[in-house]
Amino acid sequence: MSDKQSTRTPEKHKINYAFREKLNAVAEGYRHNFCYQCGACVADCPTGNHSETFNPRLIMLMAILGFEEELISPDSEIWNCTNCYTCSERCPQDVRPVDVIIALKNICYDEGKAPELIGKVSDTVLTDGITTKITSLAERRRAELGLAPIKQYPVEDIQKIIRGK
Amino acid sequence: MKYIPFFGCMMTIKYPWFEAAVRRTLANVGLEMVDVDGFTCCPDPIYFQARDKIEWYTVAARNLTLAEAAGHDVITTCSGCTATLSEVNLALKEDQKLKQQINERLKEIGPEFKGTINVRHAVTVLRDDFGIDQVAKTVKRPLEGLKVAVHYGCHLLKPSRIMRVDDPDRPTILNKLLEAIGAEPIHHDLTLLCCGRACMTDSIPNQMVAEILDAVKAQQADCMGLICPSCFDEFDLGQITLGRKLGKKFEVPIVYYFQLLGIAQGMSLEEVGLNMHKVKVDKIFDTSPARA
Repeated sequence: MSDKQSTRTPEKHKINYAFREKLNAVAEGYRHNFCYQCGACVADCPTGNHSETFNPRLIMLMAILGFEEELISPDSEIWNCTNCYTCSERCPQDVRPVDVIIALKNICYDEGKAPELIGKVSDTVLTDGITTKITSLAERRRAELGLAPIKQYPVEDIQKIIRGK
Repeated sequence: MKYIPFFGCMMTIKYPWFEAAVRRTLANVGLEMVDVDGFTCCPDPIYFQARDKIEWYTVAARNLTLAEAAGHDVITTCSGCTATLSEVNLALKEDQKLKQQINERLKEIGPEFKGTINVRHAVTVLRDDFGIDQVAKTVKRPLEGLKVAVHYGCHLLKPSRIMRVDDPDRPTILNKLLEAIGAEPIHHDLTLLCCGRACMTDSIPNQMVAEILDAVKAQQADCMGLICPSCFDEFDLGQITLGRKLGKKFEVPIVYYFQLLGIAQGMSLEEVGLNMHKVKVDKIFDTSPARA
């Protein structure tokens, strides 16, 4: 193995246990601990098959080693996961890689390191109760189709049960 | 048996003709719907779940408590809503500690989550509660000769631990429902490929969409049939914008299953909104009067 490669081998990397504890504290994040790096998640991953850099096994490995900088960023590979759950079907260890990736995304959002679009789209649930903008055109089309008008969404209830950011 | 429909944001606002198709076709099959007031966004399994999973559970649980109060199972017609409501319903039923945590948040606004109902996609209810034969009996104008490339999408089937609908690698549910209305389901190598909607980098879903559309064309299918408005977005409008980018015309009509069912039951293209699509679909249907 060349020197260049060996600088990134697990042996030379000090495991960031503090980050792993942080991940363990997020919903479903603890599942990364079950991963034994078999690679069953890789072959049928649609993003992996359409990207030279996305690899669910490597994302799990980075979680195990605590590569916080690589994982917790708006440019992290995790944002290219399609949430298709094929990896969760293949995983013999019940890691549910999509759920670990979602836990990593939750950390990103919490630390202000998620892509802007995440906040922008999800905020509309707090402000409008829904994620699609109501337009007069939509109202008109519903009427033409004989459907009931769009009802007021209970935004106040939503604001009481979730925090804004 | 009665069911509570949960149409979600996209179908209510962006694609109301899908809602119209679902309501009319299911009524013909004999399914009775009880509408419940107060539903919000499911919330969506991509953006909102990425924001905060606990809050995602909470908002979804609030929607579920409204259905529990009405006392019937929920039927979903969007794969995103199906994913969110099914996962949250099961997670809270399985994990008492999580249920307690979420109920603590819900206390302020209403009843607690009890775990007394189920959430199922409308196609699952058709197959399991009414039966494929019952669907076939409602057909007045069989779609004979119509080749429909099946696109299952991800969230009807996976995670199979939660969805429990079909074999995620060899699903048959949509094939059977297409055969029931006289159409010919077409499988291709990429029938089960994701539409890529959730990726934050355009180039990845662009490749997936182009490959799937090419595969559909290679099989000489008349259209692509699917059951998810997000997939529909990717393949209908997405096909036009991607085509412009690539300097290419795919011309693959995209149809939501309940529109096909509506046509087979004798409805007009307008009644099920098939005149509203970006990629024109009128050529593929014989719109002669229904054979009663």
